[in-house]
This record gives sequence, structure tokens and C-alpha cells, in this order.
Amino acid sequence: MKLIINGTEKQFNLDQDTPLLWVIRDELGLKGTKFGCGMGLCGACTVHLNGIAIRSCITPVSAVEGQAISTIESLSEADGTLHPLQQSWISHNVPQCGYCQSGQLMTASALLSSNPNPNDEDIDNAMSGNICRCGTYPRIKAAIKDAATKISKVESLSYEIKV
Amino acid sequence: MQNNNKTDINTSAFIKTETSRRRLLQAAVTSAGGLSLSLALPGCSTFRSNEINLDGSWNANAWLEITPDSQIIFALDRVEMGQGTYTGLTTLLAEELDVAPSQIKVIFAGAAKIYRNPAYGLQLTGGSNSLSTSWPQIRQAGASAKWMLMAAAAQVMQVDVASLSTENAYIIHTDSNKKLSYGNLGKLASKQSIPDKPVLKSASDYRYIGKQNQRLDSEQKVNGTAVYGIDVDIDGMRYAVVSRAPFIGGTVVSHNGAEIETMAGVKRVIQIRSGIAIVADSYWKARKAEKALKVKWLRDEQAPLNSAEIFKQYKQAAKDSEGDIKREEGDIDQAFEQADKIIELEYSLPFLAHSTMEPMNCTARIQDNKADIWTSTQAPDLAQVAVARVTNLSLGDVEIHNQFIGGGFGRRLSQDFVAEAAEISYKFGGVIKLIWSREEDTKSDLYRPATYHKLRASLDSRGLPTGWDHQIVAPKIMDWYVWDASPAMFPWAPKFMYPMLGHAGLLTEGTPITPADSSPYEGADDIPYSIPSINVRHVQADSGVPITFWRSVGHSHTAFVIESAIDELAYKASFDPVDFRRKYLESSPRLLNVLEKVAVHGRWGLSSESDIYQGIATHKSFGTYVALLVEIKVVDNQIQLLKAVCAVDCGLVVNPDIVKMQMESGIIFGASAALYGEITLEDGQVQQSNFHDVPVIRMNQSPLIETVIINSDHAPSGVGEPSVPPVAPAIANALFKAKGERYRNLPFKLV
Repeated sequence: MKLIINGTEKQFNLDQDTPLLWVIRDELGLKGTKFGCGMGLCGACTVHLNGIAIRSCITPVSAVEGQAISTIESLSEADGTLHPLQQSWISHNVPQCGYCQSGQLMTASALLSSNPNPNDEDIDNAMSGNICRCGTYPRIKAAIKDAATKISKVESLSYEIKV
Repeated sequence: MQNNNKTDINTSAFIKTETSRRRLLQAAVTSAGGLSLSLALPGCSTFRSNEINLDGSWNANAWLEITPDSQIIFALDRVEMGQGTYTGLTTLLAEELDVAPSQIKVIFAGAAKIYRNPAYGLQLTGGSNSLSTSWPQIRQAGASAKWMLMAAAAQVMQVDVASLSTENAYIIHTDSNKKLSYGNLGKLASKQSIPDKPVLKSASDYRYIGKQNQRLDSEQKVNGTAVYGIDVDIDGMRYAVVSRAPFIGGTVVSHNGAEIETMAGVKRVIQIRSGIAIVADSYWKARKAEKALKVKWLRDEQAPLNSAEIFKQYKQAAKDSEGDIKREEGDIDQAFEQADKIIELEYSLPFLAHSTMEPMNCTARIQDNKADIWTSTQAPDLAQVAVARVTNLSLGDVEIHNQFIGGGFGRRLSQDFVAEAAEISYKFGGVIKLIWSREEDTKSDLYRPATYHKLRASLDSRGLPTGWDHQIVAPKIMDWYVWDASPAMFPWAPKFMYPMLGHAGLLTEGTPITPADSSPYEGADDIPYSIPSINVRHVQADSGVPITFWRSVGHSHTAFVIESAIDELAYKASFDPVDFRRKYLESSPRLLNVLEKVAVHGRWGLSSESDIYQGIATHKSFGTYVALLVEIKVVDNQIQLLKAVCAVDCGLVVNPDIVKMQMESGIIFGASAALYGEITLEDGQVQQSNFHDVPVIRMNQSPLIETVIINSDHAPSGVGEPSVPPVAPAIANALFKAKGERYRNLPFKLV
């Protein structure tokens, strides 16, 4: 079985019904993606499938064969430069226990890819599938807005330079 | 992955202990030539049996190490579960050492006597006291270390210590423009005498205390590299799951384990105390095998059956027994005899799950008469006890490698998951990682106790209260907890004494050996309102449903009752709820102050829209004063929590933004419980399983939160729990305005 995870192709010999989550965590050793509920109810296991946020705990590995998966480990640049959302998460002191934050960030980054300037309702709609027991929601919301502003500034700047 | 918490110490190089300070600090040089300091917190003087007796031999569990290349390594002896000790305690050390907090490398301490919490005589993190108990010690130790480094530098430079200053891990002699790094001075510093009274920085010189606003653990928590218990991988590790009885109090009669062992990837099926464990090559294979496992269970006839029955028993207990008096003031009988009117109120609060985001898990390697445990626990020395109980090992053979904790809330003060993993590894003979499913985490939790309260108030002819009689029916958490805690308090005891020590813990409750268990009535016995006659009573009633600590513990139920009832009494007396509290809080100025602040800041009495209702509550817990004003809307019998304004007085603030974070966290945690939280039993089985039927607040339900921090120079007190207690009563009080009736049972059910 072939999987493309964070741009690298990997071969596995696995039960077809194994949830993608356990392949990512235990076969590939990428521990940033977390197990929370096993039913797609909490979002701790969120990864991207072709850029769309999915719950890896309820996704059988056979369903994503040959498709591009990205995890929290690929959110920052290869040289370690953090994604604007990660930077914003730090400056807003979002993480407390931190366990759910990989999933929160993967959902938020998928949101910004499809909607660069989300309003409160857009953020609520996108993020309400991700539970945080430490209650970091107000900060997550502020951090997303802040990152969206910064990304759009950078983009408009690069547009001006091109022109 | 090995998290090596031990410092490399050349014991023969052990240099010096100074008798007067030996209880606090010991210095040594590491084999690499660095400075190593061991901090021994003196036991609380009332807990004589738990005092830490250092015999002068070197304890390898260092607290602070400065390496020759000036790396400063701090062994954090309070766990990091989101509440911010990683940042807060490090900031205290950084302040006195004159280095940026971010320059300090933090490692998690293993289990050792020197790391015990002086308030408990046990190494546990709970009760929101990490900062208050560490505040003097860490600063003194940091200041001592800095002084020793300066004394060493003075020797090398041949100058007076007073002419030296410190900056960024360097000792500087300004006049000669010379400087030496902390790392270079480690060996010589270890030979300096430890100062008797190290001079602490004065508040005006603080560079980080009260100013440090960034958390130190954020980056690893946003890039996925922070290691939690569940993330630990050990060579040769297998995966384990446990099938437990579907009802409380069940034991295994028979099972088809032999059949299961023939399944692909399954290594062993092992009977353990709590059920049947399956060890397999992968987590998924273990889970799939578990689906095919058939177990016949024997039910304990004495086990509790259903929630309704439990509350019936509680009510009966309230009738049968007056209870033990926990506070008696004035003349309650006379107050009721002479009352113009008597109010009688009843309150019921449910069992609650913790639902930490990281489900219970533990990796155990029990081999060659030694145990290594990798987990996320709030009580490493109790984890040692749990392991020793189920193996042939002594406490000293058990090493705990603690990790970041994906949510604690009191759940990880109990070590049942550690015991399970240890028993599996011991019987399997290899290293295993045990992972609980979310369903298991919900159904086999140890819960916040359900409680029942009866509150009677006598009113005079003006409607003002003259008597307050509060009867609380609740179990004692210590009855469940002491079995693990007692052996850890008496580590010298042979293992066959463990059950006896459990009994000893109970028998000695309230004596200097074991602290009184105030969890059933804390927050109620010290009710701050100056009502002339006060009577607070506790009726012991244990349903047999497993219980443990839950964020804010007893305050989580007593505050709901007190603050709901006070609000109700205000209306009976035709007072505004804030005016009424003002009148009766004269003897509690700090509580009154947070109330005043929140009333102003939250614009009490000035709802922005006619269908938005305000409610207020105030409560002191863990030394911290919190007032909360909420705004709610009720739409289709659903409560919408729109806004929460909070004022907090937690004494001196070390990290202002962490205080705010904890207020926000506790408010949302408290709101989840008030609006949805409930664990119920039917036919002995827990009815809830996962987040669909244990709902918690999600982003779209999360209120706007504003926090006002009171400027205070009182000693610092905790912030992890105190914003939880006022949430439910504030909502209840707003609900009264919205619906015109009182909701005295939790969670709120409007239909």
C-alpha cells in the first residue's frame, strides 16, 4: 500500500481498515497528530487530504491510498520557519496543555487556504469540530484573525512588488 | 525515546553541605565540571512523619544544573498540564539568576522525595498551589546559586563580591570590564558556602516577574514536537488495550483469550485486576482483537445501580443524620425559632467526567527487577506506589519518566492507568504501551462526586437572613485516594503493609499524619457572608461510584449552592444581588473588591439588549478571589452564554497573561459542566461514552471573556481552578432573571 505523507512516498503492509491516524503516529512516527476520540468528534487527529481538513481517526488507510496527506509536521517550512498561524498561536499564547493544538492548527490552515479573510461566523463554522478542554477558543479565534491579516498583507505586498 | 531526568553526578566530588542550609540546598560538581544544586523543600512542620531527612548523601535528582557551556537546566517538579508551571516556576528562577526565562532548559522531574509538594508531603500537582508553595523556595535557591557564582567570580577576579553584577548568565566586573560565564564558574561555585539568607530581588528590580507574558512551552506545542505520555516510543514496544467490566464492580469469570491469541498480530491475552488485557503488534490490531473477545463477568451485588437510587440514598442520609458540624456560629436554633420566615432549598449536582483531551495511557517496561514508566501523571510518587502494588518491586525500583500532560483536571492524580500498564508489562515480560479509548476514558473515569445539599435560611421581618443552615451530603475523596497516597507517604514501609497504611491513612485523618479531607464541604465552611448564625454540616454518604479530584474539587459544588442561595436571599430581601452581597461581605474586603470591580467592568444592571440577562457570583478558593458576571440569552430553551467578565485577586502576579488564560480556561470548563456535564448510571452502567453524549463547550458556544486582574502585593495564590466555582451559580442567577424560576440542579435542564 502506497501513501504520500508530507510529500514523501511510503510503502506499507497494513490492514486495509487501519485508521490513517495510527499509520501516521506509529508506522511513520509522526507524533504531532493526536488521538482524542476515535469517532471524528474532537478534531485532535486533523490532517489535510489534498489540502482539505479530514479526521484521520475515522479515515481507513485504504481510502487515501496514493493521495497527498499533510500533517502538523509539514505546516512550518523545511527550515523550521513557522507558518503565520503558528506564529500567531505563539504571540496570542494560545496553547495551554497543547494536546488539541495540532488539530486546531490543521483545521485553521485549511480554513485560511479556502477563505483568506474569514469572519467570526466562518471561523466558528470551521473550528467548532475541534474541541479544546483548556478552553483556548477565544485566543484561537483572535489568532486566526491576526494571522489572516498578516497573510493578506504579505500577499498584497508581494503583489505590489510584482506590479 | 529516553527522557533522562538524572543529572550526571560524580558523587566523590560531593563538596559541601552547610548544616543550617542542608535542608534547603546541596551543591555538587557534575562529572563534566558544572554546578549542580539539589533543592530539598522542608516538609510542612505539622506533617512530621513526612519531613524530608537528608542524610548528607548525594541525591542524584538535581533541581538545577549549570553546565560548563552555561546551559541552565531546571528540573520542574510540578507537572505542566496547561496551567503554566513550566513558564511560571521557571520565571521565578530566571528572575533570581538574572537570565531570560527562555534561556532555561526545563526537564520534567522524576519521582523523588526532594520534589514533594510541601503542602501535601506528596509529589503531586493539584490544589492550585504550585506557585504559592514554590514562590519562596525557588527564588531563595535561585538567589543562592547566583550568590555562589558571584563568590566564585570574586575569587577568580580577585575583587570584592559587591563590585560584581550579573547579566545574561555572566558575572560582570564593570570597573575592569571583565566578565565570566556562569558555566565557567560552576566547579568553583560548588565549593562556595551556601548563603544562609540569600538576598532576594526587590519588587522594583523585577525584570520578569509580573512582566513575563509569553509561555515558554508554546513553540513545541504548535509544531507538534511536544512529547506527551501517549507519544513515547520505546524499542520493542507492543500495544495493549484492556477490556473492563461494563458495570461498576465486575470481576472476570471466564474469557475466550486462547482463541484471541491465535489472531494475527496478537501476542498475549492476560488477565489483570481490572479486566482482560490484549497485547498486540499495533494499537489497531489490539482493538480489532478486543472486538472478538468474549468475557463473562461476575457482578458485585453491592455495586451501585443507578443515579436516581443514589440521590434517593443521599436524601435519606440527610434525613437520617444531622451530619458532622464543620462550622457553628451564633445560635442557629434560636435563629430558626424566632424566624419570621424560613426558606428551604435543595440542590443536586451530578457525577462529572474529566474528559482530558489526552486519553489515559501509560508505557511500562518491567524487566530485570526494575520498572520504567513513561506517562503523563500529576503524582509521580503515587505512580511508583501503583507500580509496586502490582509487581514484586519496591518503590525505589520504579522510575517515572513524566511527560507533558494533555489535560489533568485532577484525573491524573489517580494512578489506575499506571497500575494497569505495569501489571500488563510485568505479566507479559516486555515493554507495552497501554492506550484507553475515549469510551473507556469516560466509562472508567473516577468522577467528581455527585452531591446533595439542603439549605435552610431564617429571615427576619424585613426579609433579611438571620440564620444559614447548610447540610451537605457527599462522599470523601480521601476514602478512595488514601490507598495510593499512604504508602507514598511512608516509603520505608514494606509492601505487605500497604493495605494497612491505607487504613492508617483513614484512621489518622485529621491528625498530623493525614490531613483532614475537607473536599465534601470546602468553600461552605468558610462562607464569607456575615449572617448572624451559621451552621455547616457534612453527612458522609458514599455511593460506591469511583471518585477523585476534579478541577476546583469541593468548591465545584459548594459555590453553586452558596452563590445561588445568596442570590435567592437577595431577592427575598428585595435587594439588588450586588448590593446584598456588598452588605454581607464587609469582613471579606478582597472578595468585596473583586465583586465591585466586576460589577463596574461588566456594567452590572446595564444589559445591552432586553433579551440578554446578567448573573453574578463570587467565590474564594485556593487562596484566590474571583467574581464573575455572565450575560446569557435563552433561545428555544437553550442557554447561550454570550459573555463572561471576571475579576481576580490572586495576590502578586508572576505572569499576567497566564492568569488571564487560566481564568478563561476555568470559565469555559465550568460552563461545560453547568450546561452539559453529567455522568449517569443505569443498571450499574455508565450511560455516557464519547463527546456526542459528554458534550463540552465548542468554539461556537464559547463566550467572549474579559478578565480584570487586581493589583496586589499579597503572596501569590493559585489560578488553575478558582474561576471554575462561580460559573454555574452566575449562570443560574442569570437564568432566574430570564425564566423567572430557580434552577437548583445541575446541569441546567430547561425542558
